[in-house]
Amino acid sequence: MKLLMVSVGEGRYAVPADIVTQILDPALEGDLRVERSEAVYRGERLPVLDLHAVAGEPHGVARVYLVVEAARSRAIVAVDGADSIPEVPSTDIAPLPPFIFMRPARVFRGVFSDGGEPRLLLDQDGLL
Amino acid sequence: MSAAGGAWLISFRVGGAEAALPLGIVREVAARPAITRVPGSHSFVTGIALHGGVALPVYDLVRFAPLWSGPRPVPAAGQMDAAEHVIVCDWGEARVGLLGDGVDLLEPGQAGNAPGEARAPRCGISAEYVREILRRNDESVLLLDPGRLFASLGVPAAESTGAREGGGEDDPACR
Repeated sequence: MKLLMVSVGEGRYAVPADIVTQILDPALEGDLRVERSEAVYRGERLPVLDLHAVAGEPHGVARVYLVVEAARSRAIVAVDGADSIPEVPSTDIAPLPPFIFMRPARVFRGVFSDGGEPRLLLDQDGLL
Repeated sequence: MSAAGGAWLISFRVGGAEAALPLGIVREVAARPAITRVPGSHSFVTGIALHGGVALPVYDLVRFAPLWSGPRPVPAAGQMDAAEHVIVCDWGEARVGLLGDGVDLLEPGQAGNAPGEARAPRCGISAEYVREILRRNDESVLLLDPGRLFASLGVPAAESTGAREGGGEDDPACR
């Protein structure tokens, strides 16, 4: 599966590329207005999900916004950067054991090796 | 009387205490692997490592407050423990790693039960997690109760951990 690698604070995470419909640079995108927890993009009001809060990273000014779309919802995800889109076989993604989490709802679903470093894969169902 | 009824043990240092676990639950002792912090996980979960393609949760027992009845050197928030080894344990269907230093094999007969005066743990580990206090040379080695320990850490005794066997994350039984 194709994964979009994003950076959030000091962390680096993977987002399933097939749920990302657009990558927006707020400096270049004229038809995007981002407020605290909502954004209006081309007339559509969308919730803004800040991965800084999810990842426990200090809030910063997001430099990139991802428009993500799951089964029944669309949202804008704020990250610091998006770089590569590697192809990672799904057999190389190990599911995370659920018992390590404090709450049943979780935003990461798996881990894979990214140049020898374990890298977490976001769970769109938990995120959206 | 030999240690733990004649069973082989793995001893290790954690938080200033000398602890031990039955060798039977230890799959491997490995050099500390690359570990990634997992947001939303328990504070005593240092992070996740990849071990033979399986997600290995790595626990820092120093951060697991219920284990301790006394003070121990807890790293500051955000800092990882500096332990050099991970003791990979199989518990039920789960595989978990425990950070530790000074890992050693304790042969049957190498350690004996501590005399009465040494029975009161003075190393800070809570007595409810100690199955037996052993004596090796001049030091006390606390044989931990793995059932109580892993249950307290939230590790299920017989439930899928998500350990993949060929199916990767597509295997629904592993989710």
